[in-house]
Amino acid sequence: MDRSRINIAVIEPSQIIYEGLSNILMKFKKNFYLYRFYDLEELKNSVSKESFTVAVINPSVIQNKITDFIKLKSIQPHIFWIALVYSFYDEELLQKFNDILSVTATPEQITHKLEQISNAPEKSQQEDLSDREIEVLTQMVNGLSNKEMADKLNISIHTIISHRKNITEKTGIKSLSGLTIYAITKKIIPLDYNSI
Amino acid sequence: MYQTHKTYITPDMKMSDLIIENPKLLLLLEHFEIDFAVKDKSVEQICSENKIDPSVFLVFGNLYNGFFPDKDEINALNDISIIIRFLKNSHKFYKHDKYPELKYFIKQLHEKHNTEDILLIEKFFNEYFEEVLEHLDYEDSVAFPYICRLIEDGKFAGELNFSASEYSDHHSDIETKLTDLKNLLLKHISLKNDFSLRRKFLFSLFELEFDLNIHSLIEEKILLPLVGNIETEPANG
Repeated sequence: MDRSRINIAVIEPSQIIYEGLSNILMKFKKNFYLYRFYDLEELKNSVSKESFTVAVINPSVIQNKITDFIKLKSIQPHIFWIALVYSFYDEELLQKFNDILSVTATPEQITHKLEQISNAPEKSQQEDLSDREIEVLTQMVNGLSNKEMADKLNISIHTIISHRKNITEKTGIKSLSGLTIYAITKKIIPLDYNSI
Repeated sequence: MYQTHKTYITPDMKMSDLIIENPKLLLLLEHFEIDFAVKDKSVEQICSENKIDPSVFLVFGNLYNGFFPDKDEINALNDISIIIRFLKNSHKFYKHDKYPELKYFIKQLHEKHNTEDILLIEKFFNEYFEEVLEHLDYEDSVAFPYICRLIEDGKFAGELNFSASEYSDHHSDIETKLTDLKNLLLKHISLKNDFSLRRKFLFSLFELEFDLNIHSLIEEKILLPLVGNIETEPANG
C-alpha cells in the first residue's frame, strides 16, 4: 500500500528486452517496481493481490486474446496499458492500448513517459479516515454485513464496498480482526474486555 | 511472476558466495537439511553430497533469489519426494522455531507494556497462528500422505480433492493477516522504547513472511501442477 511505489507489470516474451527495460528503469531514481508475467492469464490472477499503475505488454501476447484483454482492461480501468512495439502490428490491435512505446525509445523517453503516467492521477496521501469511512468501519467491526450497513447508513452496497476498499488502502489492513484492533487503538470503538 | 533481483543460481556457482550475497539462502539449506558449513563447494557438489536432485535445488534456490521458474522448468522436476521433504521441514521451522520465537517476543512486549494495544496484538497473533497451524496440520496429515501414496503407486489414488484455488485462498488469507500485523506495528501502534525487542520481533516477522511466500509459491505453482500431471497420467501397468 506504499503510495510512492509504482508497480509495473510487464508481459514480454523476450528475456533480453525485458532485462533491458528493467535495467533502464532500475537505474532511474523513481520508485519503479517491475514484475514480469508470462501471459495475460498470470497477470489477471495477480491484479487482485498487487495493484499496478502501468502494464507494458508486447502486443503479440494479446493478439489471439483480444476479448480477454479488453475484459481485463475493463476490470482494471486505473491501469495504464502500454504496447511495447518492435515489429509491425495491426493499427487496430495497437489501438486497444492507451499508449505505445517503441523499443527504439531512449531511456529518457521511456522514463519520462512512465513518470508522466505515474504522476497523473495523484492519490491523496493522507491516511486519516473520513467521517463516513469511520462510520462504515464501526459498523464493520460490529459485525454488520454490507447489506445491513447499506440499509443502516442509507447508502448503496456499492458505496459501502468502495468505502471498505478505501479503508483498507489507507490503513493497510484487510482482515476484520486486524481492522478491529485498528479501531480500538484509534479509539473509534471502545475495548470490550469480555471479547478478549 | 518474479521481481527483478540479483543472481540467477547455476550449478557451477560456489554456495558460500551465494549465501554471502543472499543470506536468506540459509533458510533454503536448512529446509533441505544441508549443513551451513559449505566450504568451497559448488552448488552441484552440495547437491550430490546431500543426494538432492539439483534441478529442484536450483528452482527453489532461484525462488529465494527472486526468480520464478518457467513452465518447462517446473515440468522437468521429477523428484516430488524431495519437494515434500523440503515443505515438511519448512513446516517444522514454522511450528517449532518461528512461532515460539514470535510468541516469546510478543509475550515480552506485553510484559513491558501492559496496554490494550499489545494485548490485542497478542490475541491477534495467537489466533492467526492457530489458523496457520491448522493449515499446516492439514497438509502434514492429509495432503502430503496423499501425494506420497500417489508417487509410490504411480496412479490416481482417488478420494482426496484439494483444489489449487482452495489452497490459494487459504494461503492468501494467511498472507493477509501477516501483512495486517506488520502494518499495525509499523503504522498504527506506537510504543515508547524497547527498540531492540520490537526490531527483533519485526525482523522475525519479515523472515517468516519471506519464507511463507516462497512456501506458498512452491505449493501452488510447483507441487500442485506436478501432482496434477501424475493424476492425469494414464497408469502404467
